[in-house]
Amino acid sequence: MKKIKMEISGMHCASCAANIERSLKKIPGIKGITVSLLLKKGTVECEDNVREEEVKHAVKRAGYNVERMSRE
Amino acid sequence: MNQEHMMHEKHKSIDGHHHDTPVEDKEISDWKKRLIGAWILVIPIAIIMLSDRIFGFNFFMGLPDWVMILSLLIIGFPVIFIFGWQTIKAGVRGLFTFYFNMDSLISLGSIVAYATGIFAIFFNIQDYSGISAMIMGFYITGKYVEAKARGRASQEIKKLLELGAKKALVLRGKEEIEILIEEVKIDDILIVKPGEKIPTDGIVFKGESSVDESMVTGESLPVDKTKGSNVIGATINQDGILYIKATKVGSDTFLSHIIKLVEEAQGSKVPIQVMADKITGIFVPAILVLAALTFAGWFYFTKDLGKAIGTAVAVLVIACPCALGLATPTALMVGSGMGAKRGILIRKGEAIQTMKEVKFVVFDKTGTITKGKPEVTDIFSVSGESYLLEIAASVEKLSEHPIAKAIVAKYKGKKYRDVSSFKILRGRGVEGKMGKKSIIIGNQTLMKEKNIPVEKFEKTIRGFEENGKTTMIVVEDKKVIGIIAVADAIKEDSVIAITELNRQNYKTIMITGDNEITANAIAKQAGIKEVIANVLPEDKAKKVSELQRKGMVAFVGDGINDAPALKQSNVGIAMGTGTDIAIEAGDIVLARGSLRGVVASINLSKATFKKIKQNLFWAFAYNIIAIPLAVMGFLHPVIAEIAMSTSSITVVTNANLLRRKKI
Repeated sequence: MKKIKMEISGMHCASCAANIERSLKKIPGIKGITVSLLLKKGTVECEDNVREEEVKHAVKRAGYNVERMSRE
Repeated sequence: MNQEHMMHEKHKSIDGHHHDTPVEDKEISDWKKRLIGAWILVIPIAIIMLSDRIFGFNFFMGLPDWVMILSLLIIGFPVIFIFGWQTIKAGVRGLFTFYFNMDSLISLGSIVAYATGIFAIFFNIQDYSGISAMIMGFYITGKYVEAKARGRASQEIKKLLELGAKKALVLRGKEEIEILIEEVKIDDILIVKPGEKIPTDGIVFKGESSVDESMVTGESLPVDKTKGSNVIGATINQDGILYIKATKVGSDTFLSHIIKLVEEAQGSKVPIQVMADKITGIFVPAILVLAALTFAGWFYFTKDLGKAIGTAVAVLVIACPCALGLATPTALMVGSGMGAKRGILIRKGEAIQTMKEVKFVVFDKTGTITKGKPEVTDIFSVSGESYLLEIAASVEKLSEHPIAKAIVAKYKGKKYRDVSSFKILRGRGVEGKMGKKSIIIGNQTLMKEKNIPVEKFEKTIRGFEENGKTTMIVVEDKKVIGIIAVADAIKEDSVIAITELNRQNYKTIMITGDNEITANAIAKQAGIKEVIANVLPEDKAKKVSELQRKGMVAFVGDGINDAPALKQSNVGIAMGTGTDIAIEAGDIVLARGSLRGVVASINLSKATFKKIKQNLFWAFAYNIIAIPLAVMGFLHPVIAEIAMSTSSITVVTNANLLRRKKI
């Protein structure tokens, strides 16, 4: 298990956070997702084999951008 | 570069970000530009549309209809497609990718309304093009006000982020060099002049001063620092020069931990918001369907295309998931920010909801109610005080227990006897051999266990215990040679805090390893209502779970020894000890070791939760009332848009009002 933290740009309403969560959920191996509209940040807990690119892509698919990403 | 260093680099990239231009400020200034641009055009549009009513005549009187419509289309174009471009872009993309958002509703509403103008030039259909510009104008205005209010909601956190020192004065050889804070390494000697910020966590190496720590711990009085004292980065040195040795840097500092805790808490969810989150998830598609049905229904029954479009647009723009989505997080943000300012760190949003159900507040005794620094107060010796202390100190020197330390501190001699076969008997005492003699030091439980008669000393022991003192019986070769009484003074503000909790009808309980007589005496001094005595450290969690059968329990203790009990309780409140905060253990962490923080965190949790409930109520009520009104055609699209913007602004503003609450 690992934790990926990211800063997300383009969120401006409550549905946006829900959209990103919905898109991230589609990645196999993703466990916990929290996206905060106020902090413009998201955290995912996932299996070690989930690639950071996949996470970035999922955010992009929902129409938002990952500005920074870090692993913990 | 070693691994640890790389970790720091990584952290820096996230944390460092906060120090450059704040994203929110840029967001606010962007919305402001759009707002000004939009209104320069929306005002003339409004004047044109309402000129009949304002001036009693129409500017376009005598001209064909299409001239006015075309004018409105031209003036309105930049409002929607330039100043509203962000919204249109995100919204339309959402419509195509099926990741619908707020913008999808506004975009669809304003584009449909704008399109009626184009059609109106050629066909006989009601023109909503002016309306569409007004919708966008009000939407942008609402977003601007909301962004500003959200900025206010996070002001405490922003202050925390800006709190850290930027530079440090480091001693290299004999030279004093100013370096950037990022370049400070562990073990660097830093010089802090009066009035300056302490750059990072460290230990005083030379010098004396008092330090204002209020910004990170909430402690209002300056704290005296001498050689060996711990200092916290970002606190302010008052009057003397301090030479400090850096012990923690970068993301390991106290301040970084506080910031991390607060940010994590703000991202965490409060159970009550689950419902609202579920609704916001399906909100936009549901409204799109509803708007389509509204259009179809109106057109079918009235055959009035214009009215059907107008009503559908009103439905699109009145619905707003934002009020629902913002209700909880904004209140949590304001609440946790208020807490952070006072040294109360709410780690989990859940705690504020659970708090209102709490019936029992259980306190650990040592270090929580008391100072945790016991001192020897009385010595009763059978065969000479100095001999007794020498024996006791020689054995206790091998133990790390606070009581052992108190006994060693009391012993003024320099000579210690050799002790072999030393053993700690957890929760009871110690034993060891001194030459051929066997020495036991411990409480009455231990005496019973070892079959040592203490009847003769019963009265003395009882006398000490009734004054809240812990007694240690010293035994040499099965014979009692003396009794040492140790007392741990109650913190000054424990009584005030406990009295306040009693007044608020909480059941206050103290849990301790002391025997009942001692425990009851201390409880009485502290104002505690109930005592659970004779509890071994490892059994605290079990006692908490027994209490939980009768009601929710908040446990207050230090995060290190009491971690299992803190976890077991419904709300674990961990007391900070100096520069270390026990991050993992508590749901709420107090940066300062005062019990007043417990009262404040209970009050803060309750007030924050009340705000969340209010906000959710308004957000639900708004949508439940406004959407049907729009469907029934009672609301003009512009009024609908204004109502929508107002709803989210109300929620954020209401969250900000939490600050008025005294905690």
